[in-house]
Order: sequence, then structure tokens, then C-alpha cells
Amino acid sequence: MDKSMEKIDIIKLLLYLLIFIVATLFMILIVIVPNIKDYRASKIVYKKAYVHKMRVENVLVDRDNELRNLNIENRRALTSFMHKFSTDNFIKYSGQFFNEVSLVEVEKKEYKKEFVEYELRVSSSLKSPTNFYDFLEGLNRYENIIQADFPIRMESNASTISSAFTIKVYDINATK
Amino acid sequence: MRLSFIAPRKKHLFSIFTKVWIVFIISIVILLNIFNLFIVYKNSDYKQTAIKIKNQRIQLEKDIENIDEKIGFILRQKAVAEEIYANNIILKDSIKNLFDLVPDQITLNKVIMEKNSLVIYGVTPTKDAYNFLLSAPLKSIFHTSQTIFYLTDKGWYNFVSTNKIINPEGGE
Repeated sequence: MDKSMEKIDIIKLLLYLLIFIVATLFMILIVIVPNIKDYRASKIVYKKAYVHKMRVENVLVDRDNELRNLNIENRRALTSFMHKFSTDNFIKYSGQFFNEVSLVEVEKKEYKKEFVEYELRVSSSLKSPTNFYDFLEGLNRYENIIQADFPIRMESNASTISSAFTIKVYDINATK
Repeated sequence: MRLSFIAPRKKHLFSIFTKVWIVFIISIVILLNIFNLFIVYKNSDYKQTAIKIKNQRIQLEKDIENIDEKIGFILRQKAVAEEIYANNIILKDSIKNLFDLVPDQITLNKVIMEKNSLVIYGVTPTKDAYNFLLSAPLKSIFHTSQTIFYLTDKGWYNFVSTNKIINPEGGE
């Protein structure tokens, strides 16, 4: 019968203990410790990347809110820029203030890179200058972005005032 | 022929003591290896996740750039629209102010308004009426103001008033 468990050989015990310690130390120092160092470094990189991403995400949310608010606040101006200018609609609008409105396109040019400026000459007749004031006030509520500009010429006739002035219509430059 | 009174004992390559130690050492090595594999797995998981997060962050930064461009464009549109609306109101006020300047005695026949000049054609009963009631305010607004009078058949005066603002750049 094997009596090795009853009569323990001290030399063998020390030898096995030594093998155990060497094997364990080898595993820990040569294999596990470098991997743990690597693991810690990766964890730090991961945490930094995560924090950075969260900051960028917060900035994105803020910007997105800002964009939404700006869109709401400036909806009228933005839709006016997008609206295609129609001479018929403009003549119809001007008809509320003037008689015999006619429009002649003078020139089309780039304005501040992102916009296109159409210049048109408007000829009309009106009963009193008040019509002209109302027209100019109403222009700021018109479906397009339009600026009335010089030269303005007004001449009184028998019962009406004939007028000629320039308007500048601003559109988004589609090529930009 | 038997040479021994006892039956031969079975000899084992390793004693139980040795086997116990071998099993113990192998178990510990296996456990350490499992722990090591776990560390390696977590390490690679962190690395992959960090790369994924970095890519997501780059995408988010691109989104921010796009939004910034949109915000910039909206602000430029807003600025242009506000400038145009303000110009329309200024133009209306300028014309209104001009007509308010003209007293009842004087009648305007024709007005030509340029950016920096104003030419007025009209009729005045006397030169003095014109000079006191219209010329003075015009001179306070414009840098130069010249008026030519023509006597009419009725004894009134037709006048042509040319008024100019001289720009600091030198143009008119």
C-alpha cells in the first residue's frame, strides 16, 4: 500500500513547493502582470475616449438646440429666401398700392457669395405718397426678401404721381 | 516455483503525494491561465470599444461641423434680411421726412432721389418763401445745395434744387 501520504518526504515536499512557487511566479510575473499593465492602459484610453465622446455629444446637443431655435426664430426670413420670386405675385402685391405697375429686369449678380441679387426697375403711378410708404412697410412682410432702392423718381401729373424706382430681390445662390 | 511468501505489490509511476501535488500545481496554472485569458479578453474589449468610441466621436465632430455651417448660414441670412428690412424702413422715413419738409406754399413737381443726391423740381410763390422754408432745412441735411429759379407767367417761380452729400471717400 502507498504510504506516501503518511510518511511525507520532506525533500519531495520542498521540491514540489519550489516547483509550485516557480510556476506560480512565472505565470504571475511573466504572463499576468504585463497583461494587467496593458489592461490598465487600455482602460485609461477607453475612459478618456468615452469622456471625450460625451463632451462632444453634449456640444452636439447644444448646437442642435441652437440650430432648431434659430430655425424657429428666423423662419420667416428663411422661407422668404427660399421662395422663388414671381413677377406676377409682385405686380399683384404692388397693385394694392399703385396703378399701372410694370417690371423690367435690370441685372442679376452675386451678392455676398451665398446670395443672388436680381435688380428690377418698377414703374407705376400712385395717388399719394402715403401709398408709397405703405408699399415700403409692406415690403418687409412680402413673401420674398426685397429691398426698394435708389434711384427713385417721382413726378406729379394731373391727378396722380408717376414713380419709378429700383427693387432688389435676394435669393439663395443655388450653386453654392 | 514461488520465491516470496507475499504477493507482489502493484508499483505506481507516481505516488499519491506526487499526484496530489501535480494536480494542485496544474489546477493553479489552469486557474491563473483562465484569469489571464479574462484579462486579455477585457483588454482587447476595451481597445476595440475605445476605437469604436473614437470613430463615433469623429462622426459627431463632423455632425457638429455641419450644424455649425448651417447655423452660420442662417445667421448670415438673418443679417442680410434684417439689413434689407432696416434699409426699407430708412428709405420710407427718408421719403416721408422729405415730403414733410415741404411747406404748403411750395409745390413739388418732380423729385429724383439718388443714394447721395436729391434733385427737386417745384413751384414757389417767392424766392424768400423757398429760401426760408425749404432751402434752410435742405442745407442742414446736404453738404452742397444749389437752386436755380425761373420766373413763370403767373409771377411765381419754378425752381430746380440740386442737393448733394459728399462721401468721405471723395465720391458724391
